[in-house]
Amino acid sequence: MAAGPRVAPRLDESSLIRAVQSGDRDAFEQLVRAYDHSVLRLAVNLLRSQEDAQDVYQEAFLRVYRNIHSFRFDCSFHTWLYRIVTNICLDHLRKKKVRKEEATVVDTAEGPVDRMDAFEENSAHADPERSMRNRQLGQRIESALAELTPRERMVFELRHYQGLRLRAIGEMLGTSEEAAKNCLFRTTQKMRAVLGDFV
Amino acid sequence: MNCDDMQKSIPLYFYGELPPEDEERVEDHLDACEPCRGELERLRTLTAAFDRREMPLPDGMLENCREGLMDAIRAGTTPAAPPVADPRGPSFGERLSALMTALWGLRQPIGAVALLAIGYFSAQFSRGLTTQVVPDSGEPMVARVRSVQPDASGRVQISLEEVRNRVVSGRMDDGNIQRLLMAAARDESDPGVRVESVDILKDHAASAEVRAALLNSAAHDGNPGVRMKALEGLKSFAAEGEVRETLAQILLKDDNPGVRIQAIDMLTAHRDASVVGVLQNMVGKEDNTYVRWRCEKALKEMNASVGTF
Repeated sequence: MAAGPRVAPRLDESSLIRAVQSGDRDAFEQLVRAYDHSVLRLAVNLLRSQEDAQDVYQEAFLRVYRNIHSFRFDCSFHTWLYRIVTNICLDHLRKKKVRKEEATVVDTAEGPVDRMDAFEENSAHADPERSMRNRQLGQRIESALAELTPRERMVFELRHYQGLRLRAIGEMLGTSEEAAKNCLFRTTQKMRAVLGDFV
Repeated sequence: MNCDDMQKSIPLYFYGELPPEDEERVEDHLDACEPCRGELERLRTLTAAFDRREMPLPDGMLENCREGLMDAIRAGTTPAAPPVADPRGPSFGERLSALMTALWGLRQPIGAVALLAIGYFSAQFSRGLTTQVVPDSGEPMVARVRSVQPDASGRVQISLEEVRNRVVSGRMDDGNIQRLLMAAARDESDPGVRVESVDILKDHAASAEVRAALLNSAAHDGNPGVRMKALEGLKSFAAEGEVRETLAQILLKDDNPGVRIQAIDMLTAHRDASVVGVLQNMVGKEDNTYVRWRCEKALKEMNASVGTF
């Protein structure tokens, strides 16, 4: 499981934010660098499109830049930033859901790649039967994810891949910890329903 | 704890999201129950499969994103709005803001005093402008004793902060009057002052500064009356991105159904794709039947699915 976001020490971060609020562009760049790796990882993993992920990255940090003067330290900067990021990602997910664009082939800098390949054995001498089974598992996983609502996808992504606590996730998504727990539970249930015979 | 309870607890246990006492109960049950141990094991296998699905960031992607972002900022497509330092010293607004911060920090019931204290500062910094300052004959009011220092002669030196009452008046096109009203709109101690201030400000939302203050009140004021007034002022700007973002947040978070309905009306007056998602989300989580019905109605009018996620 992935580690949580890389966060600058709180004291430095407050000074950085104040510097950004007073118009210091270098401070903004430093602030971006403290968080942007985890933001981009979230967007790439969630949207499975480098182009969409780059859009999310740019839109999110530009919103931060435009609105940082209204940040009043009444929540952590991480929470504030992730509210922005998750909102933008959810919009993208909703559009994808409407367009039914959940193809297994994703665009990368090296050209289109079938994400089922990630489930293939790396070794050239891998057991073909096992390789086939892994590929089927990959397809089932994509089907399981397609069953999830954008919000369930988001909760699972933030908890499983980003390692965030459900309480923090609830705060970011404007809901309670209990609702985030229920969402995670529904997610695992749906996954079990689709992948039951594989695991 | 029985096997049915375990169904919900196992994922939370796996992710370390159970309180310690529940965690112990789950472990006791797992020790004694083979099927539930199997369930936990299946979840481990399932999540391990998901681990392999994680897409690594392609080389250079992060750097490209950083460059693109800073280029966009340098190109000035989205200027930040921090206050620009004035070489002549802090501006009226900055002093005002510092004063408000200091006064709010006192944690004393001085709401009305705070507003009048702003008047004092405005008197200091707005001479020559159109704001008229009416001196008050009252004595200074002590807001806080900062330190007490006895000396050898038996005298005591007391350092205190004091505020004086002043009355200022001016037209709404006077920037100082607007700033005073915007500060008053954030005076946490007095909802009455906030309602009156926002009621005046709402007719001047053409100013970006006033609009930002109205957005802040609409999203964060503790009093629904103030929030409604602020929304009223933003009606003509309901098509703007920042206003729509705030409206969506209000719709999802505000605990007052009247405010939520107002947000629905404003969002649906200018339809775009993002409204659909917000409304669908609302249908799924809205407890209030009428508000839910309004969301469903708006979705139907937009020929959008009422389906929730």
